[in-house]
Amino acid sequence: MEKMIDFVDEVLAEIGKEPDMVIPILQAIQGKYNYLPELALKRVCETTAITEAQITGISTFYSQFRHQPVGKHIIRVCVGTACHVKGAKQVFDGFRRELGLEKGVDTDSQKLFTLEEVACLGCCTLAPVVQIDDVTYGHVETGKVAEIIEDFKNLAPSEEKIVREVTEEGISQGEIRIGLGSCCIASGSSGVKEELEKTLANNKIKVDVKQVGCVGICNQVPMMEIQKNGEEAVIYTKINSNEVGEIIEKHFRSKNWIDRFKNRFYNYAENLTFSDIPKISNRYNPQEENTPIAEFLKGQINIATEYRGEIMPSDFEEYKEKNGFVAFQKCLNEFTADEIISEIEKSGLKGRGGAGFPSAIKWKMVQNAKSDQKYIICNGDEGDPGAFMDRMLLESYPFRIIEGILIGAYAVGATEGRLYIRAEYPLAVKRIREGLKICKEKGLLGKNILGSDFSFDLKIFEGAGAFVCGEETALIASIEGKRGIPQLRPPYPAEKGLWNKPTLINNTETFSLIPYIIRNGAEAFSKIGTEKSKGTKVFALAGKINRGGLIEVPMGITIKQIVEEIGGGIANGKQFKAVQIGGPSGGCIPASMSDTAIDFDSLKEVGAMMGSGGLIVLDESDCMVDIAHYFLSFTQEESCGRCTFCRIGTQRMLEILEKIKTGKGKLSDLDLLEKLAINTKKGSICGLGKTAPNPVLSTLKYFRHEYEAHIKGECPSGKCEELIRYEINDNCTGCTKCAQRCPVDAIEAKPYELHKVDNELCIKCDICKQICPVDAVEIK
Amino acid sequence: MPKLTIDNIAINVPEGTTVLNAARSIGIDIPSMCYLEGCSNHPTCMVCMVRNNNNQQMLPSCATVATEGMNLASDDAEVFEARKEAIELLLSDHVGDCEAPCRVACPAYMDIPKMNRFIADGNFDEALKIVKEEIALPGILGHICSAPCEKVCRRKDVDQAVSICLLKRISADEESTIYLPEKKNASGKKVAVIGSGPAGLSAAYHLVKDGHACEVFEKENRLGGSLFDSLEKGELPENILTKEIEILTQFGVIFHTNKNIDKGNWEQIKSSFNAVILSTGSGLENVEDLDLKSTKTGLRVDRDTFATDQAGIFATGSVIRTQKMAVKAVAMGKETAWSVDEFLRNGEGKGTKRVFNSRFGTLRKEELSEYLKESVTGDRVQAKSVKGFTKEEAMQEAARCLHCDCRKLDNCKLRVCADIHNADRRRFSFGERNNAVKYFNHESIVYEPEKCIKCGLCIEITRKYKEETGLTNIGRGFTVKVAVPFNQDINKALTVAAKECAVACPTGALSLRSN
Repeated sequence: MEKMIDFVDEVLAEIGKEPDMVIPILQAIQGKYNYLPELALKRVCETTAITEAQITGISTFYSQFRHQPVGKHIIRVCVGTACHVKGAKQVFDGFRRELGLEKGVDTDSQKLFTLEEVACLGCCTLAPVVQIDDVTYGHVETGKVAEIIEDFKNLAPSEEKIVREVTEEGISQGEIRIGLGSCCIASGSSGVKEELEKTLANNKIKVDVKQVGCVGICNQVPMMEIQKNGEEAVIYTKINSNEVGEIIEKHFRSKNWIDRFKNRFYNYAENLTFSDIPKISNRYNPQEENTPIAEFLKGQINIATEYRGEIMPSDFEEYKEKNGFVAFQKCLNEFTADEIISEIEKSGLKGRGGAGFPSAIKWKMVQNAKSDQKYIICNGDEGDPGAFMDRMLLESYPFRIIEGILIGAYAVGATEGRLYIRAEYPLAVKRIREGLKICKEKGLLGKNILGSDFSFDLKIFEGAGAFVCGEETALIASIEGKRGIPQLRPPYPAEKGLWNKPTLINNTETFSLIPYIIRNGAEAFSKIGTEKSKGTKVFALAGKINRGGLIEVPMGITIKQIVEEIGGGIANGKQFKAVQIGGPSGGCIPASMSDTAIDFDSLKEVGAMMGSGGLIVLDESDCMVDIAHYFLSFTQEESCGRCTFCRIGTQRMLEILEKIKTGKGKLSDLDLLEKLAINTKKGSICGLGKTAPNPVLSTLKYFRHEYEAHIKGECPSGKCEELIRYEINDNCTGCTKCAQRCPVDAIEAKPYELHKVDNELCIKCDICKQICPVDAVEIK
Repeated sequence: MPKLTIDNIAINVPEGTTVLNAARSIGIDIPSMCYLEGCSNHPTCMVCMVRNNNNQQMLPSCATVATEGMNLASDDAEVFEARKEAIELLLSDHVGDCEAPCRVACPAYMDIPKMNRFIADGNFDEALKIVKEEIALPGILGHICSAPCEKVCRRKDVDQAVSICLLKRISADEESTIYLPEKKNASGKKVAVIGSGPAGLSAAYHLVKDGHACEVFEKENRLGGSLFDSLEKGELPENILTKEIEILTQFGVIFHTNKNIDKGNWEQIKSSFNAVILSTGSGLENVEDLDLKSTKTGLRVDRDTFATDQAGIFATGSVIRTQKMAVKAVAMGKETAWSVDEFLRNGEGKGTKRVFNSRFGTLRKEELSEYLKESVTGDRVQAKSVKGFTKEEAMQEAARCLHCDCRKLDNCKLRVCADIHNADRRRFSFGERNNAVKYFNHESIVYEPEKCIKCGLCIEITRKYKEETGLTNIGRGFTVKVAVPFNQDINKALTVAAKECAVACPTGALSLRSN
């Protein structure tokens, strides 16, 4: 007990005692105890100006904070959109069963594991994804839950991964690039990197190994690009770490002759045996057309993601070499603030946070505001399930974002800034922190930047888990140490923002576009895109698609082009049904309208929204009522709870959808639902409430027949548990695999005879269907 | 001075005026719940929405500052429907009754829990005042009422219903000096009541109370009409009847016995009075000469206003349809008097409409114990005397009341708004409701968190009053609660600001005990 009090006192001494520091204080306490012990909270109140009411209000608002002790390890099942459509709920239920968790309990009896849902881990292309502490498992199947827990238990307690440098003398024979974004790491990239370094060291091969940011081609990770001096680059995809040796020895000669001989032998053997280099990995030449990678990259334009896959995130020198900070210096030396803003205005840039407000107008407002102090905020509180653009940008291009913010601050006259980053993005926080440190050292942040009279300080603020804080006024409240409750606008943050001072607040992607515009001129940007939506947009492409990943496409590109050309069409030969754009604020656009161009206005017209850029592709097996229910349950959970319509209305809509999903709906419910949805849009003061009904309204508009089918007692896509039956058809070979894995013994199975599902017992966990080797299990 | 238009009325208002206040300044009353002068007024309830005709957006008028060129609509169908839906949503998450089930079941709508509270405190005079708000003949009904209230009393789910009828009787019996309610200013209008049964007597009482002169014509040589049946059956002691008629006389009712109204004197009666109420009891023999239309059950009247086809002629009680329950007749007499009052003042009778009433249904087991917190244990007290309770017995029995009514009955903004908008409490109630919870341990307030609409006013007030513990929001979204930090007692939260919080609270979540 005394230890705890000492710890709290230390935390307070380090972080500060001001009421606006309450979130960092709570984060530090939870960092130590994994939850917030009441004693610690009371100590904070005793020794600071923070009141009991404030600390309780804050600590129960943000979902990061726990009030109960947790198990030794935390299992986080991602329930983001991509994971949802691929069966995250079944996976979650699978873990509950495996851990024997009773209703309302989330920690197992041995206090070993605590099970949590997490809104989105941002590894959408590996869906469904589960994270146990720092270990990420992708493509999880319900039936593999036990194996995963076992595998985790067998893992040696891992030390922090040490990055080994290649130190041998010698001329570099080339460069090997490995993507180390969150998805890449989750899919095993760091293992590949380690193996690579080991191989290089053992063979005394001198090659530069470069760790690059997110490559964007998340569907092909782990990925490695080998650029040998004087030769064309070769890309290997979906590599297993045990294949690394073979790949390296194929490309590089080692120094001593025995090794060389061995290499030659391998090369020889390879020529004989592998026509298609290691079976799981695929090898491609980036220049070659018609490969999945070329198709994926074709049609994309890299502005926010400039030098994608080539640049090392934390390498300041490299960023500088590749025109880094040129734009900022230009601003400092050649442009007046007015000229900068006019350039932004000419470029036609609109905010990438979702609503598409012209950036130049915002900048002008802040610039013109009279105040002794102005702030700038970079909004990196990406919370959409199924979106990971901000995360990727922050992780991969920290300097570009910092440069964008510097330009913004200089233009509007801000002297202090905050980078608001979701706490769920530890790697992004780390990279930005490194970036800020380097920039300070290089004189790009702090007093009299680069010898000018412009001084600017930039700090990170880690969010604490609240989607609504993506809304600018809520985000500001959060930084001020309050509950993340949006305020009625006007006044806009540009007039009265952080601590009531004029504040420029832009999305991460918006800032990352700024250096390009300044460096290359407004026209270079405005010539891309459509009349009213200029430039490019980054999307997280995921769902039922062959090639998912992070894409940057010109505005005006059609949905069809993205799905078919970049994404390579629908996976597993299924029928394309719809795309969900814009996450919980957006809507579903049916396949029949896939000629719709992606720009702010066209999307709004069809009832969707750019949102922050999640793009989930749905196929015939996705139920639109379920999708509407999924998104609404997300917003319902994330509502701050102030406006009546958002607080109670979303809950009531959800209840109506539940009725419909379980076959208890009536036709009149659809009218009630629609009316309530329309009034919720009207009667909410912030973007969350105003857009929360969009998924419902757009599915009602385009897929009303599916709602009606549910009311008649049928789920046409075979998704809604209460309305479906599992049955085994004649393909059954009588292997009994399904019966062995069924968690509730609902399958009657005699060897070599046709098996039968008892649907009374069946809990629709889908294991039988996943495990059946001959596709004999059907949903009816 | 921005110039704006509200409902097509152009006004200039000082800089910084909210739309709500701008509207009020020209007499447009926009309903609101979470607004309180002097607070920060962050909109939550959305009941004060108006539409900006320039962009079709809805705005919370309490927090929107009026600006130049605004063109707002505050009372069209769209705005009304949106507000109504907001109220219906709030009601769907509001676990509480306005009125207690007993009062709802009482045809005369007597405020039973309030009467009980006064009796439990030994304040019989105040109890009688409450009774006589609605009931002209408490002593009589105290003997012959069939007490539908006791059939729905929630105390039945614990042991036995509260002895409401006997409590009402003692409130009349214990009258120390005769209580005559205050009358409205004299209207100068005269009303004739034909027949002195319970309906007629009741009508006469309420007419006099409303400031009209009233004469009762009884064809028999004694007053009381059908009450004589009860007298004969031995249910009603004669002295009670005599006493209550005496009180009516003192109150100003003029009685005429042996005065039959027939074709011969009908025109004369009609011309000497501004209105006539026929309360002649069952059967049409007394009135069939009067040229009035009838139905199978009796005289034909408008169901709401009790008006007959002849202007100024009303009818009430068994003459319309035989009433088996005396209390029903008493209730009808009262409602007819109110309709006549309206007729005398505005030329047309008016039906009595009960105000909106939130009802959440049967109490769950856990809820019963919450309600018992404000009550006492023990079975129904049996009166030892046939006359009824002694004072002590009555106080003991009245304390058994569960106080199912809301302490904000008359000043709950949610109720007022629901009433104005004709809200349907059940429209959105398909979710599982929360259990009703009550806290009575604070000396000056009652705290019922499940009635809270999360406006946050009390939180702001506790902060303003620098309460050390105060109140806070816990959680977010639909499950957000207003509660005391660290699960502490409400006594600790509200040490100086309790009264202000209860007064500010727009619903019965925080209410004064004294109500």
